[in-house]
Amino acid sequence: MTSSSQKTKASVGRRNFLKTAVVAGASTALPTDSEAATGKKAASDSSSSQGLAAPSAEQMNMEASTPEQLAEAQPDQLAANTESGAAKSFGSDFMIDVMKSLDLDYVFSNPGSSFLGLHESITVYGGNSKPEFITCMHEESAAAMANGYYKAALKPAAIMCHGTVGLQHASMNLYNAWCDRVPLIAILGNTVDAADRMGATTWRHSAQDPVAMVRDFTKWDDQPASLQAFAESMVRGWKIATTPPMEPIALAVDSTLQEMEIGDGERPKIPRYTPSEPPQGARGAVRETAKLLVEAETPVIIVDRLARTPEGMRLLVELAELLNVPVIDIASRQNMPTNHYLNQTRQSGRLIPSADLILGLEVTDFWGQVNSVNRAEMTSEPRVKDGVKLITISVNDLYMKSNYQDFQRYAPVDISVSGDAEATLPALIEEVKEAMSRSRRRTLAEKEKIFRKMHADSFEESRQLAARGWDSSPVSTARMSMEIYEQIKDEDWALVSVGASERFISSWPHRLWNFDEHYRYLGIGAGGGVGYGLPAAVGAALANKKLGRFSVNIQCDGDFMYANGALWTAAHHRIPLLTVMHNNRAYAQESMLVQGTANRRKRGVERASIGTLIQDPNIDYAKLAEGMGVWSAGPIENPDDLRPALIEAVKVVKSGYPALVDVVTQMR
Amino acid sequence: MKLKLFHSTVLLFSLFSAAASAQDDAVAVDRGQKTFMRVGCYECHGTDGKGNEAGTALTPDTLPPEAIANFIRFSPGRMPVYPEEVLSDAEIEDIVAFLESVPPSPDADDIDILKGLTPEGE
Repeated sequence: MTSSSQKTKASVGRRNFLKTAVVAGASTALPTDSEAATGKKAASDSSSSQGLAAPSAEQMNMEASTPEQLAEAQPDQLAANTESGAAKSFGSDFMIDVMKSLDLDYVFSNPGSSFLGLHESITVYGGNSKPEFITCMHEESAAAMANGYYKAALKPAAIMCHGTVGLQHASMNLYNAWCDRVPLIAILGNTVDAADRMGATTWRHSAQDPVAMVRDFTKWDDQPASLQAFAESMVRGWKIATTPPMEPIALAVDSTLQEMEIGDGERPKIPRYTPSEPPQGARGAVRETAKLLVEAETPVIIVDRLARTPEGMRLLVELAELLNVPVIDIASRQNMPTNHYLNQTRQSGRLIPSADLILGLEVTDFWGQVNSVNRAEMTSEPRVKDGVKLITISVNDLYMKSNYQDFQRYAPVDISVSGDAEATLPALIEEVKEAMSRSRRRTLAEKEKIFRKMHADSFEESRQLAARGWDSSPVSTARMSMEIYEQIKDEDWALVSVGASERFISSWPHRLWNFDEHYRYLGIGAGGGVGYGLPAAVGAALANKKLGRFSVNIQCDGDFMYANGALWTAAHHRIPLLTVMHNNRAYAQESMLVQGTANRRKRGVERASIGTLIQDPNIDYAKLAEGMGVWSAGPIENPDDLRPALIEAVKVVKSGYPALVDVVTQMR
Repeated sequence: MKLKLFHSTVLLFSLFSAAASAQDDAVAVDRGQKTFMRVGCYECHGTDGKGNEAGTALTPDTLPPEAIANFIRFSPGRMPVYPEEVLSDAEIEDIVAFLESVPPSPDADDIDILKGLTPEGE
């Protein structure tokens, strides 16, 4: 199919290539960044320690060809091929070496003809390890999985798809990743040379500039014309993606280049990767910020994506305790532990209007925090008092693209520090210590008692509210959330997804669960694109499997139906994940909005449910899951049936498999 | 004898009236529940009006019909405005009858998995 014979033949033999791969593979045995960051070692075998599995007969049969076994089998086969002289080196083999040099764990993909070479090189040449091919049912799911994987592992993953039809599918969750500042590597198959396009489909799957479609929401892209250029662009792209503001990057990879034979002596060089230090705020602005913070009487800190790593959470706690300043956590990442008395998120309605200084740390929509919007009346007004000092520390101004408008409304502030907030916090803490007198420290310490009481009162209010409708059917979201928590609280758990908004379940987890670690919560599908929740959860659960964490996903029904094939991926790759359906049989958010519009126009509400309810027929999610090889229970309408189902589901997950419990719930 | 007959008649009438009144109440409760679902109150307030983050609790301590009407006709916040053309005063009275019929929720301290929760997460 290719004109590879016309291309340069290099002299690197298969044996030398393999040696390189082995060396690269050995280097990947070192602890990952996330393991180093969390201080925890990867669980060697999550299934062996529990011994509680109840796999079906089908699952047992599938054991004969698990991906792990296949991965182990491949090197032997490869060696045999090499001994017989059957194998040569190809461009795509070299590309895998580049990926190995970056310690890339996974490629989320489904097969496509424009990246056949890469597909074969991953599974055969590379032994399907570093990277491993994770089989997806949709490119949109692949992009969400890479998104979830990064947020749990703190390490980029790649997706691989056609540069045309595959990318069209993947684009929405690339946009979610963009809005969420998640680095991922999109590898797009393409056939650049028209003379190499064998057949009509190849023409349809080729483009002059495939990345054009997603350039507005990728940080950088390239279409390298040689293997040397590929190596440099892959390393460069990785570096760009992982430097704050972190974002996806895209590489269009020519199918002809993938097929190019490499001869002895002409193997391109893989450049060394050195991560960039994140940009920090200028010292003078940081000093001024510290001075104002120390002087303020009623300061408030608002955080959104501050904590890129667990260190971000530790630094935020240190800063907040130094000043006894309340923290409002928007929680696109888990920035502030919920059990800390200075986490006053539930009190934002009281604290923000009375603040004399507000410091925003990596807040995307700062304007939206200091103003209130009446959506029905299409009006807005400040929710802060006159004279309040507004300060932001973020990489927002380093992040701009003009077409898509996720940068939000312009927020006038008194000090704007351009720099990564987590990287800037050590300097800010140092300056605060410097600026604070002993007497001021004593004065500020007196606030602790007040905030402890506010924190306790807020928690108690939520605890009492959770009891309301405890025995209702459909099941209340409080009952569902707390029954889940009861079963997982003694595990090293992580709530890996709640879809597009935790408010869809009245924020019960953040009101009553103890989010005391950075990894306990991974935020939402930041672009609001539906079809994020389940695949992102699967990607995160894949990361957590190695880290020995118990992954739970509270799954909205509407979101589920966009990308439910992700369940099959979880079953196929033995990814332990507890999914609990928030099955309110509706696109509830839109239902409320349509109802509000109809009321405002005085046209009645009888038709407001058209197009917003997912009923008639009701969807049986347990059957859907079962059909994809996933243990399931439900639909559960009686709340008393929930606990026994969850107990069984947790056993299945602890044995290394996914499980789904379908709960018919109240709307919110 | 006449007095006894009179007393029996009054008693029967009272019982009949009470039964009729209870029946009327049950009809109003049923109508109120159907209206509550039809106009979408349940979407924010829950199917039994117990409330959640999207909509405040409407029961227990349900407001009188006039107060509810006044609020929903001129809602200043996120709550959609319900003009009389969409929801009549009589329908609001039915909804109040339904909400008043909803049994109370248990106390948090009587629920095993809520009982031991502390803000420190212990």
